Order: sequence, then C-alpha cells, then structure tokens
Amino acid sequence: MDTSEFGRFSDPALMILASLAGGEKHGYAMMEDIQAMTGVRLGPGTLYGALSRLEQDGLIEALPADERRRPYKLTTQGAVFLRQYLASLKKIVSLGLKRLEA
Amino acid sequence: MIKKLRPWLTRLYPRAWRDRYAPEFDALLEQCLHSPLDVVDVFLGAIDAHLQLLNGENVTWRMMNMLNKLRTTILIVFAAYIGFIIAGLSLVGLADDSPMIPLMKTNPSLAAAWTIIQAGAVVALLAIVIGGTPLVLTIFRRVLTSQRRDLGLLLVPVFSFLAIMLYLGFIFLVGSGRIQIPGVLPAVQPGNFPLGNRLMLAGFALVFVLGAIASTLAVWKVVSNTDIEQETFHTLGRPFTVKIHSFAFIPAVIASISMLIMLIATLAWFGLTFSALPQVFTGSFGPWQTSTQIWFIGIVALMTVCTIAAFFGLARGRSARNSG
Repeated sequence: MDTSEFGRFSDPALMILASLAGGEKHGYAMMEDIQAMTGVRLGPGTLYGALSRLEQDGLIEALPADERRRPYKLTTQGAVFLRQYLASLKKIVSLGLKRLEA
Repeated sequence: MIKKLRPWLTRLYPRAWRDRYAPEFDALLEQCLHSPLDVVDVFLGAIDAHLQLLNGENVTWRMMNMLNKLRTTILIVFAAYIGFIIAGLSLVGLADDSPMIPLMKTNPSLAAAWTIIQAGAVVALLAIVIGGTPLVLTIFRRVLTSQRRDLGLLLVPVFSFLAIMLYLGFIFLVGSGRIQIPGVLPAVQPGNFPLGNRLMLAGFALVFVLGAIASTLAVWKVVSNTDIEQETFHTLGRPFTVKIHSFAFIPAVIASISMLIMLIATLAWFGLTFSALPQVFTGSFGPWQTSTQIWFIGIVALMTVCTIAAFFGLARGRSARNSG
C-alpha cells in the first residue's frame, strides 16, 4: 500500500496516522494536534475524507463513541504502514539534505 | 450565519456515508465550522464521498447504499399501496348505492372488470402481507429491545385505527338515532342530504385519509431507522435467516403489477359504465351525492400516481437487488 491510494487525501492521511501514533483521538482533537504538529489546519471535509479511507483500508479503527464524538486509534497494520512510510521519507530527507550540503 | 448551515452541510453527504459518520461529523462541525472556507471544504468532501460511492471504492458504503435503495423501494411500494387503497375505497363508495351496481348484474363485461379489480385487491393485499411480515416482525423485535425510541411511532397506526373505529361508531350511533345532532338526519334520502350529514361524512373521510398518511409516515420512519438486512426467525424449532428487504422485493413487484391491472380494470369499468349509463357520468352519484365526474377523475388520478410511484420505486431498487 502507498499513500497515492488516498488521492488528494494522501497528506492528510499521513498527518492523521502521525497524530494517532500519539494515542487515540476524536476528530476535533486530531485537527488541533495536526495544526500544532505541522501548522496545517485540516478542514472538516478533508479530515473525514481521509479518515473514512484510512478506516476502510484498516489502518485506523473506530472506538465506541463518547456521546457523539467517536475516537479513533491506529491499528497494528496502520502502525506498520506509518513506520515503513516514515522510514522511506527519512531516507529521502537525509539524502536530499546531504546533496544540498555537498 | 455559517453555524446555521451545519445541519444542511451534513445532508450533502450520501445517505450511506451519513449512516456511518453523521453524528460524529456533526459534532466536529459544531466545534470547527468557522469560515466560508470550512463550508467549501465540507462541500468538496461531500462531492468526494459521492464519487467514492459511485466508483464503488468503499465496499461498506456501497452495501449500505444498496440496502438503503432496496428499503426505499419497499417503502415507496407500501406508500403507493396505501394511496391505492384510498382510491379503491373511494371507488367502492362511488359504486355503492348507485345504478352502477344493478348494471353489473346484466352486463357481464362490467362484472368481469369489477371481479378483476377485486381479485387485484386480494392479490396486492396478500403480497403486501407476505412481503411485509418478516420486516414487521423484525421491527417489532427491534422496537421492543434496542430501538425503543420508535415505540411511539409504532403506536401511530394503532391510534389512527382507533380514531377511525371511534368515528365509525359515532356515525353508527347517529344513524341508529341514539345520538341526535341538530342539522344531522339519522337516515338520508336521495335528494335530501343535509349539510350536517355531509360534514359528518367529510369528517370521516378526513380522519381516514389523515390516519392513513400519518400511519404511512410513521411506518416509513421506523423502517428507515432499522438498519438490518437479515434476521433469523425460529419456526418449529428450526432457525431460518431471511434477507428481509430482498425477500419483500418480489411481493412488491406482484403488488405493483396488481395495482397496474386494477388501474386498467378500473378504467375499463368506468368506460363500460359511462357508455351504458351516460347520465351517471354527468350526474351526482358520488358519495354524499357529489359529482360523479370529480370522483372519477380523483380516483383514476390517485390510482395512476400510486401505480407510477410503485414502478418508479421498483426501478430504483432493481439495480440494488441485482448487485446485492
């Protein structure tokens, strides 16, 4: 699986996975966390567009609703995917930085 | 201003999506809907959800969408059938105590058309009862266990029926002279139909029609709230599972075809009656000595609308059933 599957939601999907790597959260908590983490404020439509795809792909899992708000958590598959994806990004980042410094 | 848009924004999403995400999405919008850009973002998200559904990307939503379509089909046919019953009872009211009934005894074609209407009514009723039984049993089971908030809605048909029965009892008491109301005669004669009697019977028609509409809407709402496709029943100690909406589809087709046949037979019956007795068409043989023409137009129009609605519902549900 790669993030191109998520189309215009690939970056938001990655941000959601990274946010949930820090623990289970509901939609609004994810929005705030992502904004604090990246400076990007995800719109509600974008957030749930990515969220629904991540859930469908089994990368995140819905937990029982707390009143109307439903928290989500990263699944094992989601954690593996995020780890692999961040590792590949890390390689690109370090290689790019090395080339810039050379 | 933007906050006021919140309920409408969630409605932009497909039903299947809303069934899964609406409460939590609405809770999110309550907290984060601040600017027109958020509205645009939700709008784009809704378009994306529709496209996802159309492309069949999301299997869960697709299944829910098919179930919704099938359920809507069953409900449309049921509502159309109720409308058709009202038209059918009006037809009986029109024919009753009119020269049309004696005419049928001497006119075999007219009698045959009437028999077809009656047979169609029986077949449609049986189809609705057979197709609806698993659905009704499932709903009762759910309402008595996990869906108790809908208990009040299920009482609407019961109270409607009681209201109709009470009104009939009232008419009976007036007719038997046990209740006397100024301006209302216990028995009316041709050419002497006081305004009081007309109002009393118009009141009955109003109670009947309102009761039928309220009951249909209540049943529609309860069925819409029941997100179950299959249910297991136990008969003679053996369990069997029924896909309740798919099961109801064939009876819905039979009921719709019966409605079409009854409509054609009704048109034939009217045509034969009016050609044999033209004075009936121009006269006032309708209930409460009202114009026959108005009743003819009203009955045929209602039957036509209901039949078209039933076939529209079937066309909508056919694709869902085939792919389900």
